[in-house]
Amino acid sequence: MAKANESRARQQLSDYRRDPSMVLQMLRNLQLEQNCITDTDIAVLAEGLNTPKTKVQSLIDFYSFLHHTPRGRYDIYFSDSITDHMLGSRKSAQLLCDLLGVELGIPRADGTVTVAMTSCTGLCERGPAVLVNGTAIDRVDEARAREIADLVESGIPVDEWPLEWFFISDALRKKGPLLDHPLTPGAAIERTLEIGAARVIDELRTSQLRGCGGAGFPTHQKWDICRSTNGDQRFVICNADEGEPGTFKDRALLHGYTDTLIEGMTVCGLTIGATKGFIYLRHEYEFLRQQIDHRLERRRETNLLGKNILGHHGIHFDIDIYMGAGSYVCGEESALIESLEGKRGIPRIRPPFPVTHGYRGRPTVVNNVETLCYAAGIIEHGPDYVSHPGDEPCWKILSISGDCRDPGIYEIPLGTTIDEICKMCGAENTRAIQVGGPGGILITPDEFNRKLSFDDCNSSGSFIIFDESRNMVDVAVNFTHFFAHESCGFCTPCRVGTKLLVQLGDKIADGHGARMDIAQMERLHRLMTQASHCGLGQRAAVPLLTNYEKCPPCFVERMDDVEYKPAFDVEAAIERSRQIVKEEGRPQ
Amino acid sequence: MTGRIKIDGQSIPFADGQTVMEAATDAGVSIPHLCYHPDYEANGSCKMCTCKVDGRQVSSCTTPAVHGQVVESNTEDLNSARRALAQMLFVEGNHHCPSCEHSGNCVLQSAAYKLGMTALTFPNFSVGRETDASHPDLLINRDRCIYCELCVRASRDTDGKEVFCISGRAENKSLAVNSDSGLLRDSGISADDAAADVCPVGCIIKKHEGFIKPIGKRAFDRRSVHYNKIAKDSVPGLDKGPDEKVTVATCSLAGCFGCHMSFLDIDERIVELVEHVQFDRSPINDIKECSPEIDIGLIEGGVCNTENIETLREFRKSCKIIVAVGACAIGGGVPALRNNIDVRELLEESYVNGVGVENPQIPTDRELPHILERVSPIHEVVKVDLFLPGCPPPADAFWHILNDIIAGRQPDLPYDLMQFD
Repeated sequence: MAKANESRARQQLSDYRRDPSMVLQMLRNLQLEQNCITDTDIAVLAEGLNTPKTKVQSLIDFYSFLHHTPRGRYDIYFSDSITDHMLGSRKSAQLLCDLLGVELGIPRADGTVTVAMTSCTGLCERGPAVLVNGTAIDRVDEARAREIADLVESGIPVDEWPLEWFFISDALRKKGPLLDHPLTPGAAIERTLEIGAARVIDELRTSQLRGCGGAGFPTHQKWDICRSTNGDQRFVICNADEGEPGTFKDRALLHGYTDTLIEGMTVCGLTIGATKGFIYLRHEYEFLRQQIDHRLERRRETNLLGKNILGHHGIHFDIDIYMGAGSYVCGEESALIESLEGKRGIPRIRPPFPVTHGYRGRPTVVNNVETLCYAAGIIEHGPDYVSHPGDEPCWKILSISGDCRDPGIYEIPLGTTIDEICKMCGAENTRAIQVGGPGGILITPDEFNRKLSFDDCNSSGSFIIFDESRNMVDVAVNFTHFFAHESCGFCTPCRVGTKLLVQLGDKIADGHGARMDIAQMERLHRLMTQASHCGLGQRAAVPLLTNYEKCPPCFVERMDDVEYKPAFDVEAAIERSRQIVKEEGRPQ
Repeated sequence: MTGRIKIDGQSIPFADGQTVMEAATDAGVSIPHLCYHPDYEANGSCKMCTCKVDGRQVSSCTTPAVHGQVVESNTEDLNSARRALAQMLFVEGNHHCPSCEHSGNCVLQSAAYKLGMTALTFPNFSVGRETDASHPDLLINRDRCIYCELCVRASRDTDGKEVFCISGRAENKSLAVNSDSGLLRDSGISADDAAADVCPVGCIIKKHEGFIKPIGKRAFDRRSVHYNKIAKDSVPGLDKGPDEKVTVATCSLAGCFGCHMSFLDIDERIVELVEHVQFDRSPINDIKECSPEIDIGLIEGGVCNTENIETLREFRKSCKIIVAVGACAIGGGVPALRNNIDVRELLEESYVNGVGVENPQIPTDRELPHILERVSPIHEVVKVDLFLPGCPPPADAFWHILNDIIAGRQPDLPYDLMQFD
């Protein structure tokens, strides 16, 4: 047995030519092969990569989908996003646990199955979503949960489960320039080679394209800085670690517009002088990997990728897919690069920024999937490709989920009002909308004349609608738990602050909140904004605070009008003592 | 690049490649820090050295000095953030100074003194992480780790051994030891290594040499403060007439009465005190119940059972100002060391398996209060107005604080009366 384990880890070492930066890929493969990374695996990898065992172990402990203790042969994760909750994920998960006789997160004694929760899996418009052995299944209502329980108990392998469960089609509700016009493979590359890097950057400047991952940094500027920074090598990284709860537009692009994305990366590579690109694909999107691999292979065959692209001597560019292993922070570009180098995904100290000191310390462009797709379109068709008659000259792809008639993907010109978007997707009796994910902004109906734009309502793509039946305390508490779970733990304010916020949120949600708790939230917010190492900590107190400010009735409902309430529930704290005394025969 | 930067109005020079922290240290300007150490590459994780550089809040240990920079460090805003960070680290681990070998030599404790941190404010996490006592000369008490990564850097960069590594994330973050067994014994570290000496708190400590220096002679017992005193949270005023006496009640919850003993150490000054003070409920005069309107309630001890909760609530109801007195009332103290032990195990240890127990049985008399799963500081049960640290607080500290309140001043402890042990 030990021998067999050893050979699996050795296979990984040789598959990846003992490259230490590929250790996360090796660990992930071992996890998916045998549902656990054993002591032997760790020892073999540590020896083979000439690194301390604790370093290997520290990766397993950092990434959510890697485990040192065995999981069930069926390893099932329910998405814990608020959008899945709203569609009944908690009920389905509980039912499945009951049917299988397991507790959440704990493998069944016979080793058959684990049911656990995980952060948003990006199937928000079609939840409740689950991942089974790395593969995504949508719409797991109670009926489907029952079927899953039967399949698990009968020992049917996951690849023999009903095919229609796995087919992830994308609800493309509204198409703009990008979604409406698939590009001609190779056209943008050809034009890049024809007009040259300087003009590519000029056209991006004219188009006013900005990063679509949330930060909105001008794309032309990023490419230009990278191109003009000295370095023996440069890199292009596509950030496909779409982890912001409520975001699934990159999933749709990776699925339906794979060629456009690869074209965009290639254009970027040729422009900045990179020969190597990476797609950092989140673990949850494993189901898209084969298709992307296939497209990459096709493009190599047709000379759109690889050596001497389109017959141009000396023009090389190739792309590898690198899989994440479960960490929201890796969506931050410097943490992503750390992860890509095979380390724990902890944001780097900035400056210097990745654009000058990125992957392996070399100048690196990290762009979101959507940004690269638009870049491809702009270079193929010219800067007018993204122009429209509105005040702002660009488009944005939104992932709309929550309480509306038509959840799905919407390509919308910037400058569109929130009200217009609500009408498009059929949102009624809306209480509030979370724009830009948990760390974004909450919009209430009195602000629906605000506009989708970088300067007003900026969104990374997440647009979650809550109607009047939803209590915004629950929403804020869900987001707060998400931040605490995903905090990398590097800096004090975020590591401790997110946990304190969870305590405060739970206290209020359980009806034990008081005015001093609100004051404490404000104090934490001030501190975490001041001192946190990255955006996660800086924004982690925002959901509780803004939901309180904008939807006070939801909070008032759960709180008494008192200044102070104890930090813990006294009755619960003496329950154990009561029980012991009862067992020891004290008359009650 | 060389040049000058301005810190809190003072112009100081910097050399090529220096950070704001390095320039400040060279110029003798102290910026509070925990994870920074001049011998090692900056880590930037504790955030204690957060400064405002040209209007932006950054870690000064990782920010390069640039000519003309304007740095704010010693401001109430930043010091209050640093105080909150110290509080966070105190509640995240089990930093019970009175029972810690490193007390008096602890950088976290010293920072907390300087920042005027008297209270924890946040609820205690009461963690129960693994202790590693396997090594003949060294011990790791992980409950006290603050993740500064100094041992990681020292072992890697000075000792060339890579004994330590930070593992996990968020609250599951932990200090891991690189050896087959995961134990320090098998790691190749020796007591002479830099990594064995660098821990700023009581997490990695040397065996056989705890408490070598007496209290009063340890590194941070009397060191002067480098920056200004900090304004504290305000205590409600008492509104007393000139001849009216201030009423004071005292009690001990889960404590040892040591704070009361220390209070009595004001000696003959008690005669002067009773000219201004009328004692209400207190073990000093054996009055058992609170009058309805008391000015000051001094509470010693943490909260360990239902009787403590009742007493505490009675005090809160009767007293205008509640003062948490001593390490147990403020942080749970020594009684809180039981917080990771199951209640049944505790009761059995005391009443069944304990040495010299006759007629072993867990008492079930209905008159007895129920014990709580964890011992908590009193601020987790009632609102507390003022905190008087120490184990016990010195008699002079009682004297100082009471005089401040009686005279209608905001109480303010000088550095030499501020102690956690």
